[in-house]
Amino acid sequence: MAMAALRREGRRLLLSPITPNPSSAARSAMSISPEQSAPIGLRSISTQVVRNRMKSVKNIQKITKAMKMVAASKLRAVQVRTENSRGLWQPFTALLGDTPSVDVKKNVIVTITSDKGLCGGINSTSVKVSKSLFKVTSGPEKETKYVILGEKGKVQLIRDSKGSIEMTVTELQKNPVNYTQISVLADDILKNVEFDALRIVFNKFHSVVAFIPTVSTVLSPEVVERESEAGGKLGDLDSYEIEGGETKSEVLQNLAEFQFSCVLYNAALENACSELGARMSAMDSSSRNAGEMLDRLTLSYNRTRQASITTELIEIISGASALTG
Amino acid sequence: MASAAAGAVAGAAAPFWRAAGMTYITYSNICASLLRSCLKEPYKADAASREKVHFAISKWAQGKPEKPVIRSDTPGE
Repeated sequence: MAMAALRREGRRLLLSPITPNPSSAARSAMSISPEQSAPIGLRSISTQVVRNRMKSVKNIQKITKAMKMVAASKLRAVQVRTENSRGLWQPFTALLGDTPSVDVKKNVIVTITSDKGLCGGINSTSVKVSKSLFKVTSGPEKETKYVILGEKGKVQLIRDSKGSIEMTVTELQKNPVNYTQISVLADDILKNVEFDALRIVFNKFHSVVAFIPTVSTVLSPEVVERESEAGGKLGDLDSYEIEGGETKSEVLQNLAEFQFSCVLYNAALENACSELGARMSAMDSSSRNAGEMLDRLTLSYNRTRQASITTELIEIISGASALTG
Repeated sequence: MASAAAGAVAGAAAPFWRAAGMTYITYSNICASLLRSCLKEPYKADAASREKVHFAISKWAQGKPEKPVIRSDTPGE
């Protein structure tokens, strides 16, 4: 390169010690720190820092793009299952009603969050909704407790609501969500936690970019009986004929347990869908930001490189002209 | 616990599984796994993959978590 020849000329003219640098490494020689092998008096600006940053930003962009693809492919499968599971709880709501305004003494808030991060803001919104629900349902003679599914919710709620946590469940996402797992979990909750009403907080999946925090209310059998005496939607239960020699309270109990299990299953699936969708959009915006950062870094790298070339040229030429002129 | 009381209160009509302390959910799960084991291969393997359970549950007492209990079909993982 003419540049390299000029530099060699300049070095000879300056009577500097012989540099071992081959000419092919002219560009990299510029970026090596001045102490290493540049001749005395020759300054070069280091572009190493910028180049390292560019490399790491490019890697991050690749990783986030890959994560987005993975989330998109998983989302397709889970979405089908979620839509199918919506049919599980709809008959229950038609029969027993979903009454979020029911006033009971013991509330248990079941918050569904994810174990893994990098999924945008869905876990924080779930926790915010749970906290405000806690405030709404607390009062004199009333008791509210949390049951937390997922690491992220646990971490956030530990900070200020340690005393009201009843149970935490983690490592749920090791296997894909299936009904057996959720029902075993529901069974555990039913056996260990006293409640009059269960409020399940999750993110309902509307579309790939829209996740709505939702609260589903499941009442315990005694409360259902009490409400049915009081009339209203539940009061119509008496007009149904019950077969099989079971009493109404037994049927109600079975139904209430099954309702809890179904609603929890649907909530877990919807939350999983929302998590994948949120991760997709978070990773997408992250790769876009990385791309923009890369553009800015490239510009600054080129500017630095050109500036250092210009500086070297000026020094060489002024040195040469000082000797000859 | 409320469920046991309601089961006993119903009198002699309480089904055997309720009297044994199971909830309806446990009962239906056992029935479902019985049904799954009636399948032939390869559907049996597909169904078995839908039955895997693994989670770590820990109860809290007075603001402190107790040791988590791992409920899993695959112990040692």
